[in-house]
Amino acid sequence: MQFSSNKTNSSFSSECLNKRLQQYSSKSSTCLVSLAPLSNIFHKISNNMYFSFWWVFTYYLRPIIKWFLRKTTGLCELQRICYGEVSGAPRVKAVEQSLNSSRSKQIRQLIDHLNDIAENRRFTGANEREILKGAVSTVLIVKKINPKIHYQFVIAFGKCVEQIWGYKQLLAEVEQLRQAQFDSDDLNHERKLYELWENLMPNEKLEGRITRQWQDIGFQGEDPKTDFRGMGMLGLENLLFFATEYKAPAQHVLSHSMHPTYGYCFAIVGINLTSMALSLLRDGSAKTYLYNASRSLPTIRLFHYFYSFLFYEFDRFWMECKPKDIMEFSSVRDKFEKNLRNSLLNSRMEFRIALNVENV
Amino acid sequence: MGLLSILRKLTSTPERELRLLLLGLDNAGKTTILKILASEDITSITPTAGFNIKSVISDGFKLNVWDIGGQRKIRPYWKNYFENTDILIYVVDSADKKRLEETGIELYELLSDDKLNNVPLLVYANKQDLPDSLSASDLAQALNLPSIKDRTWQIQACTAAQGIGVREGMEWVCKSIKKK
Repeated sequence: MQFSSNKTNSSFSSECLNKRLQQYSSKSSTCLVSLAPLSNIFHKISNNMYFSFWWVFTYYLRPIIKWFLRKTTGLCELQRICYGEVSGAPRVKAVEQSLNSSRSKQIRQLIDHLNDIAENRRFTGANEREILKGAVSTVLIVKKINPKIHYQFVIAFGKCVEQIWGYKQLLAEVEQLRQAQFDSDDLNHERKLYELWENLMPNEKLEGRITRQWQDIGFQGEDPKTDFRGMGMLGLENLLFFATEYKAPAQHVLSHSMHPTYGYCFAIVGINLTSMALSLLRDGSAKTYLYNASRSLPTIRLFHYFYSFLFYEFDRFWMECKPKDIMEFSSVRDKFEKNLRNSLLNSRMEFRIALNVENV
Repeated sequence: MGLLSILRKLTSTPERELRLLLLGLDNAGKTTILKILASEDITSITPTAGFNIKSVISDGFKLNVWDIGGQRKIRPYWKNYFENTDILIYVVDSADKKRLEETGIELYELLSDDKLNNVPLLVYANKQDLPDSLSASDLAQALNLPSIKDRTWQIQACTAAQGIGVREGMEWVCKSIKKK
């Protein structure tokens, strides 16, 4: 798997704070930020016999440490994260963790409110700025932060809110697309199917709607409509995006899929990878990718990019594994998913398709 | 896991392991049946590339269920999974009349294989919820199942997507194993 970790430590600076405070806050923030994943582990352990000890720690000790740091640094936890963590996934995840473990009534209400907006996909266009403004000012009031002094916090925190609830909204959108079944009577669906063929096989004409040719691009039979199954239109949209936005790489992958020994069914494997991408999105593993790749409100395109990355990398992994035949698919897929999940654990990782010149 | 179940595990004899083979054309519903048996979510199913395997404890048996992809390209690999099979489960999409002949040909191909000699056969007449799907008895006639004399067989109507009928089929499986 190809990745580059080219994130640099963004400055802790807030120009209006003097240098000493800066150093102080950066030190304290690193120690405090590390509390967030710790409390996560404690939470998991709390299910078994160590229950009471960890529970006491997270419930009583964490607030005490937070209070102590707040008094000594003059910054609340969210500020310490926004100034101390590098932008992208490390910062957004830490802010998310901090907000979720907040016991302030107003913050909890804010979270519920934002969740509701994201689930109903109302976090768009003109709404977005209003919602962000409301969220930021709520936190400013609750945490008694002066926006004139901490204007950098206002910007950084707003971006985090945009990413956190943009992700949730994206999940809702993706689920909706998955539930939309492929419908042969829907001209739009049919058009997309033809487009997929034209992009993958530009030099070959489709003889008809029901034809064995579909098997050339890895569908199971003569009519692809039954192959999308539980992935619905999401499966087709994913494939179509990969085939159009990454035309050359997609054709390169398709040519691998026709290999006499290492060949596989392009479309079927693609639909299985949609399922993998979706499960990574659902359980939050995809946050590393999305939070690092996204500079504004995450959209469905970002999910398609994630999918395209998965497909390209899976193909490479498959060819490297030199499987005996397609029957090894599930074991190769599981290995691939395990590696991917390991890479996604590192919040600083950035993923992109590594295109070799000879492939393009 | 509670203390009781751990104790029970320690004291009871280990379950007998059975190998179940789940075959049929693509889009017949094999993976859905597998997931129903394992009590898993069936909303996110994808076409099977290769195979899936799950172990289910049922009626004192440990059932290792092999679900092999049904598309034409994969069918030549089916025979690699025949060895030591205790029960053959064949799934048919009862509403897919166009491919009734194809599914029959594949079934009799299986039955004629030496490695599957005498292996009891369970046919699931799946997708009973679809309009103009064949009933289990009509499907049995269409597939000429009564002509099978060399093994015990059973046909079971089911709608796997709603979890209907799958359990009844498995009850027959456990019963016919005990008789053996």
